[in-house]
Amino acid sequence: MAVIRDMIPAFELFQPTNVEDTIELLDRYGEDGWVLSGGMDSFDWFKDRIKRPAAVVDLVNVDELRGVRTTPDGVEIGALTTLTNVADHPELTADYSVLTDAASHIATPQIRNRGTLGGNLSQDTRCWYYRGGWPCYRAGGNTCYASAPTAMNREHCISGSSRCVAVNPSDSASALIALDAKFVIRGSRGERVVDAQDYFMRPSVDIERMTILKPGELLTTIRIPSTWAKATFYYEKIEDRKSWDFALMTIASAIRMSGGVIQDVRLAVNGVAPFPVRLEKAEQVVRGRTPSDDLGMEAGTVATEGAQPLRHNAYKIDLMRNLVRRAIRNSAEA
Amino acid sequence: MELWRRAANPWGQDVLIGISWDLMWAAVFAGLAFTLAHAVWAKWLAPAASTDAGGGSSGAGLPAQILRHALSERVFHWVMSAAMLVLLITAFAPVIGIQFAWVTIHWIAGLILTATIVYHIIHAVFWQDFWAMWVNKADIEAGLAELSHMVGRNGTEVPKAAKYPIDHKMFHHGASVSGLTAIVTGIFMMLRIDTWLGAANPYLLDITDSTWGVVYVVHGISGVALFGLIITHIYFAIRPDKWWITKSMIYGFIGQDKYVENFDPNRWAIPGAAPQEERVPAGVGASLGSDDAVVGSSDAAVGSGDVESGSNDTAAGGGDLAVGGGDAAASGGDAAAGGGDAAAGGGDAAAGGGGAAATGESPSDSDDGLNESEAAS
Amino acid sequence: MAEKLVGQDISPPDLRAKITGRAKYAEDFRADGMLFAKLLVSPMPHCRVRRIDASAALAMDGVVDILTADDVPSVDAPGEPCLTNEPLYEGEPILAVAAVDETTAADAIEKIRVDFEPLPFVLSPLDSLHPNGPNGRLDGNTMIGRELATIKWTEEDFAAAPEGSMPMGEAAAEWTVGDIDAGFAEAALILDETIVHQSLSHHPMEPRTTMAYWQNGKLYIHTSTQSLARTQSAIANMLDMDIEDVVMIAEYCGGGFGSKISGSTIMQVPAIFSRKVNRPVMLRITRYDETALGRARPGFQAQVKIGFRADGRITALDMYVLGDGGPYGRSGDNMSAGSTASLNYTPLSQRHRGVAVYTNTPPKAAQRGPGGAQIIGMLEPLMDKAARELGVDRLDLRRINAPEGDVLFGPRQTGLTSVHVKEAIDQGAELFGWEERLQRSGQRNGSKVTGVGVGVSPYTAGSRGFDGLLVIRPDGKVAIHQGIGNLGTHSIADTARAAADVLGLAWDDVEVIWGDTRRHLPWSSVQAGSQTTFAHTRANHAAGMDARRKLQEIAARDLGGQAEDYETSDGRVFRRSSPSRGMTLAQAARRAIELGGRYSGQELDEDLNDMTKRSATALAGTGLIAAARDNYQNEGGIQSWVVGFAEVELDVETGQVDIVKYSAVTDCGTVLHPRSLGGQVLGGSIQGMGIAMSQKWVFDPVWGIGFAHRLYTARPPGILDVPLDLDWAAVEIPDPQNPVGPKGIGEPPVGAGSAALTSAIADALGGKCLCRTPLTADVLLAEIEGREPAYGPLDLHV
Repeated sequence: MAVIRDMIPAFELFQPTNVEDTIELLDRYGEDGWVLSGGMDSFDWFKDRIKRPAAVVDLVNVDELRGVRTTPDGVEIGALTTLTNVADHPELTADYSVLTDAASHIATPQIRNRGTLGGNLSQDTRCWYYRGGWPCYRAGGNTCYASAPTAMNREHCISGSSRCVAVNPSDSASALIALDAKFVIRGSRGERVVDAQDYFMRPSVDIERMTILKPGELLTTIRIPSTWAKATFYYEKIEDRKSWDFALMTIASAIRMSGGVIQDVRLAVNGVAPFPVRLEKAEQVVRGRTPSDDLGMEAGTVATEGAQPLRHNAYKIDLMRNLVRRAIRNSAEA
Repeated sequence: MELWRRAANPWGQDVLIGISWDLMWAAVFAGLAFTLAHAVWAKWLAPAASTDAGGGSSGAGLPAQILRHALSERVFHWVMSAAMLVLLITAFAPVIGIQFAWVTIHWIAGLILTATIVYHIIHAVFWQDFWAMWVNKADIEAGLAELSHMVGRNGTEVPKAAKYPIDHKMFHHGASVSGLTAIVTGIFMMLRIDTWLGAANPYLLDITDSTWGVVYVVHGISGVALFGLIITHIYFAIRPDKWWITKSMIYGFIGQDKYVENFDPNRWAIPGAAPQEERVPAGVGASLGSDDAVVGSSDAAVGSGDVESGSNDTAAGGGDLAVGGGDAAASGGDAAAGGGDAAAGGGDAAAGGGGAAATGESPSDSDDGLNESEAAS
Repeated sequence: MAEKLVGQDISPPDLRAKITGRAKYAEDFRADGMLFAKLLVSPMPHCRVRRIDASAALAMDGVVDILTADDVPSVDAPGEPCLTNEPLYEGEPILAVAAVDETTAADAIEKIRVDFEPLPFVLSPLDSLHPNGPNGRLDGNTMIGRELATIKWTEEDFAAAPEGSMPMGEAAAEWTVGDIDAGFAEAALILDETIVHQSLSHHPMEPRTTMAYWQNGKLYIHTSTQSLARTQSAIANMLDMDIEDVVMIAEYCGGGFGSKISGSTIMQVPAIFSRKVNRPVMLRITRYDETALGRARPGFQAQVKIGFRADGRITALDMYVLGDGGPYGRSGDNMSAGSTASLNYTPLSQRHRGVAVYTNTPPKAAQRGPGGAQIIGMLEPLMDKAARELGVDRLDLRRINAPEGDVLFGPRQTGLTSVHVKEAIDQGAELFGWEERLQRSGQRNGSKVTGVGVGVSPYTAGSRGFDGLLVIRPDGKVAIHQGIGNLGTHSIADTARAAADVLGLAWDDVEVIWGDTRRHLPWSSVQAGSQTTFAHTRANHAAGMDARRKLQEIAARDLGGQAEDYETSDGRVFRRSSPSRGMTLAQAARRAIELGGRYSGQELDEDLNDMTKRSATALAGTGLIAAARDNYQNEGGIQSWVVGFAEVELDVETGQVDIVKYSAVTDCGTVLHPRSLGGQVLGGSIQGMGIAMSQKWVFDPVWGIGFAHRLYTARPPGILDVPLDLDWAAVEIPDPQNPVGPKGIGEPPVGAGSAALTSAIADALGGKCLCRTPLTADVLLAEIEGREPAYGPLDLHV
């Protein structure tokens, strides 16, 4: 079969108006179904004719998935809320600015107007081998092309690999992990709530998926507890251009200071592994201590211990160390 | 039912990438179907025991407990089986939706399996009767006799068995071929991932991706074959009427009565057993027709039951039991490729359970392992 | 008296259409019965088609036919066929399918089975020059002169190169001026550097879609192209037709940058296909296809040795440049790099050697400042390095090496019409605040270190000898006919001002006629090489002068006196001594029609091009026809300059670079249209910044397949990558050989933008030149952290 790109093949389109109907459809179609939110990830796959679901379930009319709501113990964001709406939201900006910073760094303004928070979190990796339709492990094949000795892997991972060395591309994931967010997933068997970092699949467990969503399931809500409201936040995204690009790396941190000392901390990075990583060892290093550049270096060094660079991405070790350093240092300056 | 999966490589060329998981279901189905069929047959349809075709021993001069598998053989078998089970579970559980980090465990278990098999091959070649595990003419005749008996021709004489009856041997053949294939392909596949052997390099040795596809398919076929075989193997191992054989793989011994009932001392000699026929001299590589080694050299005396493997050496020139053992089984007792020796073999000695008269038992295909009829001293 | 139009900001006539979306580009056209075509392209970097089985596709409802390589004219190697059975790059078109809609056509492509035989491939020039290296083509790996050839260097050549340096073996082309050995002997400082400049795609916003149909033996073609008249003639050549049988409609073009100069190879496909099936055919080119067949800038692998006197004067320049030649044609970038360097630095002696090597990567073509932009981006930081080591002021080093009016440069020692680069340097330094910003060089601001840079960048800026054509209509309006393409530079309108100013017209009285060969257009230059402004202000000036002469003659005839007694302006031709004696242009036009002969297109100058003659003849009798060839002074080459200045902050912890400020000053003669000029200077500069900072290709070396198929992977610069307050200015000294004054400008800014950044980043790194593009965060961070570079010093496509 010859290959042609840039022409979306036919599919059956469903546009349900509520979550229940959505789940029923997804359950019915199983592996042949596909959830469409903003379309930024989906259309690339469809245009390249690499992923071809029989049924696309478009959430555009499922209004109950949109919106930012205050709850007794924090904030809840509907998964279909656009990134612009997240980035501009006054309460989120006031209390959880690490998330709004993250959201405002995603892609371009135009993409943020259509892209959704849930979509950003659930999107597939951008390893160019995988995206090119190569039959790698993640695509159900039997090779990883990106980890081969001569492969082009400047954007790939330095840790957490297990036959796959791609990275998770979500800019908001690290921020939500830093906020101790929880994600609500609904399926035909009911609802489950997982910690943000547990939403992301390890390739050692299932190499073909970036998230734990099974066919028939839907990410409905992102819950942010008030734990870190108005904490000292830091967010930074490193990308090749100033806009549009997927991150080479992002870091998000939430720090509670008390008496000049770090009382508690969350540090999360993305772009270093096939899933966003919470840096628990680095957190331990800094907990209870006075933030400074030196402390940041110490934490950063601990965070990067055991990194396994590929041929073209050793710079990510230095970058990761420095981002941790900056996150810690920032809370001294703040 | 699909047999395999194909994909387009980066140049758009159609290549194999692995087996279809339909084959797993097929192998499982085959294994279970055989098991079920056998269980039903054994319970309701098996004819009465075959007549004693003679060739047994009188039991005189035999110790009460006869060593069937020495400690080293048993350790080998169980380590190998544990590795094998881990391999099968890590291979197939994710396919049926039980997700966990399986790859590292899989190849580590694979390396363990490889080590045990390498040990086994060397041990079998140099310290045991290598040919004891290979099917020969006598086996085939016995098998046919069994078959006749099974289909109801009562009265057919079913000869007593060698240490490993034909069904054991066929299982071993199947299991060893599948196992070796799985191991060799598996080791090549380790080039494709990061392991202790080195970083992933799919391009090493310039193996083309269509060749790799074949490697994966072969690995998959041998894996599912093993799956099916193991199902039957475990079935027979836990059958109450076979339990005495299974116990010998745990404790090492079978009872004297079982020996007398089931085994032809010409074909599996124990020191002290008095065969009714002439002993046939044996040696390594003895021709087809003579079974293992045996021949009553005195150093075959098991007598004391102290069969610690250590000492046995086979030394002393002639007729040493040690050499006899037939385990060419590389993978030791795993399901043979292509499914069920037992199924193929038909001649299930168990069936001849009828033939072994009293107990309806006979050494069934709980084979594998070493046959070290090591003489104690 | 009407104010001169030259020098004013006037909205171009196509602006409204573009902004409101009513502008019709090639893909916006439809015709009755039109079919859509889709391409089946090569999956491999080099292969042979053994068999095509299209039966399943042809059996589909709605599929009309396929077009294969056997259906199109074959082309002599190393020319590029529009369809091929031996693809030489991944993505090369092999066949096309035509169907009633695109969905069907795409589905049909998938049903076609093609049997391929892989052939050896090579991605990097140096690999092919290696004694055991593969060739990109079966018939050779380079051209020597006009002949295909194979050049292999020897093991000794490779062994002789010091670690990390480029080996240098047999060259395909070479030239020398002066004595470089003597030059190096007298040098106080010698730099010997290894350089890599990536190849990168043109990525115009509009891919090269074409729609074509035939009627009565004429080909009607809507296409995306930079030129118009020249594209029409290119199509006629490609299809072996008379030019009068080609009707081309191309009013708008969404960018080309050199990749669509005379149309594109692929535009033949719908033309031929529509003739085959006797229905209109639209071939929409997608971004994926555009990246493959849409042309690219050749990358370089080079070794550069420069000798400097103690005062910074370059005594010897010895360059060896390998060009990534793609699979077809004759790539000249690597050699124009030599002439550009010769002009920009006027070294006392120079040798230039080069090999353009065929590779199985997308085909190469000139990209905005071909050869020049690459080499300037790489050499300017080396000039800074020399300045640093010699203790000479960086701008002084540029000044001491800069050409002046009497310069002779390049292998043929050509002269120039004008050069004012020193003025541009001085003016730019002032505009940018060079002295003040230089103080911040190397200063730390938190984790950021400041770097300041400069890039002096020349490029060709004109040509001569083309025709102007205008009609003064009986209603008094003046139709200025332009045979040039509207590639987005506004030159269709801007160059028309030259004629309007001669006649003293108000812009409202001018109608620019462009974009459709049926509208009777004159012979023109290609829209490439930044030549249009110079060539067509002159051509339009000539036509204006012809019109003026004719108006004077008609007025004198009717109103008395001599022609010289009359003046034209404000819509009239009138007696200078008593302005009330005169006639309106409308009246003059009616008189011209009555008089006929040379006044109304019945008699034409001999030296006009045939195309112009045909057009003028077709317009004859519709008004006062003026048609003239640009026969103005013709000595020396025309070159413009842009000097770019940049201040950056390099974050030493992340490798990220922020551009704090960028200013550019241009020497391009008289300013024709300030806002448009600013767009060219800054737009081109931004394009250069993208080359320096983000844009490239990436290829997997085992499979020869690239990954920068889409804009988000190719990483061209966006408007958010640069500061909002970019500024520019012009030296504004008229070129003496252009009666209107301006020179071209499209290309010089690219090298300026690129070099200003490579120079500033090297400055931020304390003077360390990385000698490669693009300078992405990973490259910079590895350098800062002292890590082994991830890429070899000569690695391309990484």
